[in-house]
Amino acid sequence: MELTEAVSRIGARMKSRKVNVGHTERNASLVGGAALAVTGIKALTGRRYLPGLAMMVAGGMFLYRGKTGFCGLYQALGVDTSENAAGGVLIETFVTINRTPQQVYEFWRNLENLPSFMRHLESVEVTGENTSHWKARGPAGVTVEWDAEMVADYPGQLILWRSTGEAALPNEGTVEFREAPGDRGTELKVSIRYYPPGDGPGKAAAKMANAITGAQIEEDLKRLKQILETGETATAERTNNH
Amino acid sequence: MKAVVWHGKHNVQVDRVPDPQILNPRDAIIRVTLSGICGSDLHLYNGIVPTMKEGDILGHEFMGVVVELGSGVTNLSKGDRVVVPFPISCGDCWYCKQGLWSLCDNSNPNSFLLEKLYGDTGAGIFGYSHLYGGYAGGQAEYVRVPYADVGMHKVPEELSDEQVLFLTDIFPTGYQAAENCSIRDGDTVAVWGCGPVGLLAMKSAQHLGATNVIGIDRFPERLEMAKRHCDAEVINYEEQDVTEALHHMTGGRGPDACIDAVGTEAHGSGMEAAYDMVKQTLRLESDRPIALRQLIRACRKGGTVSIPGVYSGFVDKMPMGSVFAKGLTLRAGQTHVHRYLDPLMKLIVSGAIDTSFIITHRMALEDAPAGYRLFNEKKDGCIKIVLNPRLASGASA
Ligand SMILES: NC(=O)c1ccc[n+]([C@@H]2O[C@H](COP(=O)([O-])OP(=O)(O)OC[C@H]3O[C@@H](n4cnc5c(N)ncnc54)[C@H](O)[C@@H]3O)[C@@H](O)[C@H]2O)c1
Ligand SMILES: [Zn+2]
Ligand SMILES: [Zn+2]
Repeated sequence: MELTEAVSRIGARMKSRKVNVGHTERNASLVGGAALAVTGIKALTGRRYLPGLAMMVAGGMFLYRGKTGFCGLYQALGVDTSENAAGGVLIETFVTINRTPQQVYEFWRNLENLPSFMRHLESVEVTGENTSHWKARGPAGVTVEWDAEMVADYPGQLILWRSTGEAALPNEGTVEFREAPGDRGTELKVSIRYYPPGDGPGKAAAKMANAITGAQIEEDLKRLKQILETGETATAERTNNH
Repeated sequence: MKAVVWHGKHNVQVDRVPDPQILNPRDAIIRVTLSGICGSDLHLYNGIVPTMKEGDILGHEFMGVVVELGSGVTNLSKGDRVVVPFPISCGDCWYCKQGLWSLCDNSNPNSFLLEKLYGDTGAGIFGYSHLYGGYAGGQAEYVRVPYADVGMHKVPEELSDEQVLFLTDIFPTGYQAAENCSIRDGDTVAVWGCGPVGLLAMKSAQHLGATNVIGIDRFPERLEMAKRHCDAEVINYEEQDVTEALHHMTGGRGPDACIDAVGTEAHGSGMEAAYDMVKQTLRLESDRPIALRQLIRACRKGGTVSIPGVYSGFVDKMPMGSVFAKGLTLRAGQTHVHRYLDPLMKLIVSGAIDTSFIITHRMALEDAPAGYRLFNEKKDGCIKIVLNPRLASGASA
């Protein structure tokens, strides 16, 4: 798939109601949606009204999406994943952090904190109320930059952002913050989807894309956990100078 | 500085290496005044634990004097005399908060390795392979202590180094092993291995109310120490059939609790031992569970098998049917040392338990290579070696 094609597809606004959710994603939506809706109802009966409502709405939306292949959220966002989902790479990782959802959310919502635990991010600069500029450094020192916008922001619950414009490595990310049972803190789910460029332009972006793996993001999240829980990142480095 | 460095199987040397530095706000540097060689170090020495690298500094039982503090450590001062628990624990994660310090979520920078091996990670450990974080150990003149605000414990002035050193590992390890037996009045506790861990497990079992304690080993001097210092009955497994002897000593019931203070390198004879030795050598089996199989067979119905001895991988021919049929409880793990520092320090201060009786050799840090050989071969009546960086080489006592 051509890079420009991918970019234009992500940017494209859906004019009519049609299938804009890929196949596997539809099945996942059906299952996930049902679970989310049920959890939402449970949360409600447990008198956690806000998260409960949010989950039911989200769950209902995913259920609908799974059945019809149409996603209102994606339409609202102008995202069409039906074809590029095959080319896109989705990474999902989970971690439990011994802090409240609000605390974890606040740290993440300050996007300029991200490079402190995401190894490949060199900097994130907040450029407007909902916009930011990202700079990543990959293997052999290649750098890739892009602009991003915050598409959804539910304090203490969910953040969703995506790259905008002619990004060399189009990407989007969702972070869900859920209260863990008992006194276990926050269950964090991070989903990152990116669209690696084809053979054409963007060699750096392709290299960068190869460096983004589930294992690496898991390591990033461990550092995030260390920072939030202990105030520092664990290291066993030895000194080499006398 | 000088440090005991791992160069390969059966090859440790004392090298000059760079001094450690403060890397994080919660770090401290201590000048080591005394360290011990542990049975766990022998698993490294014998090349049983994977991911050791040439140049790694050994030692996880050590104490000393604070010489430098990171900006985040406010509960201690330079000059404080401290003991340092062997697990490196953050004190903030859910596990640390539950008192499960050796299962700390945050202190192992190589947690992904353990996750691959075991399904989840444990705490980092000083000088104990890259699986456990790759931290430099304390058989050295200086050592960096991470999370020093929770990882160092001040020592009362009136106590000598030798009186408190074993709070860093083997005293809590013996104690936790005994505590895991849920001892009740009338109980008999049998302990396989009369090394430092086994001996202190016997002492602890007695303190926790066991009526009878039985020690099992093959070295006369170790059995003698179990009898004399731990008031134990003993079985020399080279002279007697262990299961049968235990049967006789307990009216045919078997011990109420059995402690495995031997671990992965159990010694044995006959076909069974040969089988495990060959498989371990060929790396078809990572551990030799000769003692553990015996524990399970000997333990009374409904009893507890407590395993402080280290295992690192897979074992063959585990009598799982016996565990099931007899309804045994199995408990194991690295020691949550931090949890025991206060209560066990009190026992030492009050004189209720003295642990220094196990020391048989006091050596200069520089003589560590000879020490490792001696301890591994159990020569010269060697039971426990402590290393003192200020002793001159050859001045061992
Ligand atoms: N769980 C922990 O946190 C922890 C802490 C410290 C040590 N350990 C482990 O505890 C174990 C013992 O440590 P140690 O310092 O006492 O070591 P050690 O080597 O001095 O003692 C082991 C003893 O077991 C005896 N032995 C060997 N095979 C036997 C058998 N088949 N039956 C009965 N006895 C047998 C040996 O003769 C020796 O006396 C080691 O595996 C060590 O790694 C665990
Ligand atoms: Zn030890
Ligand atoms: Zn911890």
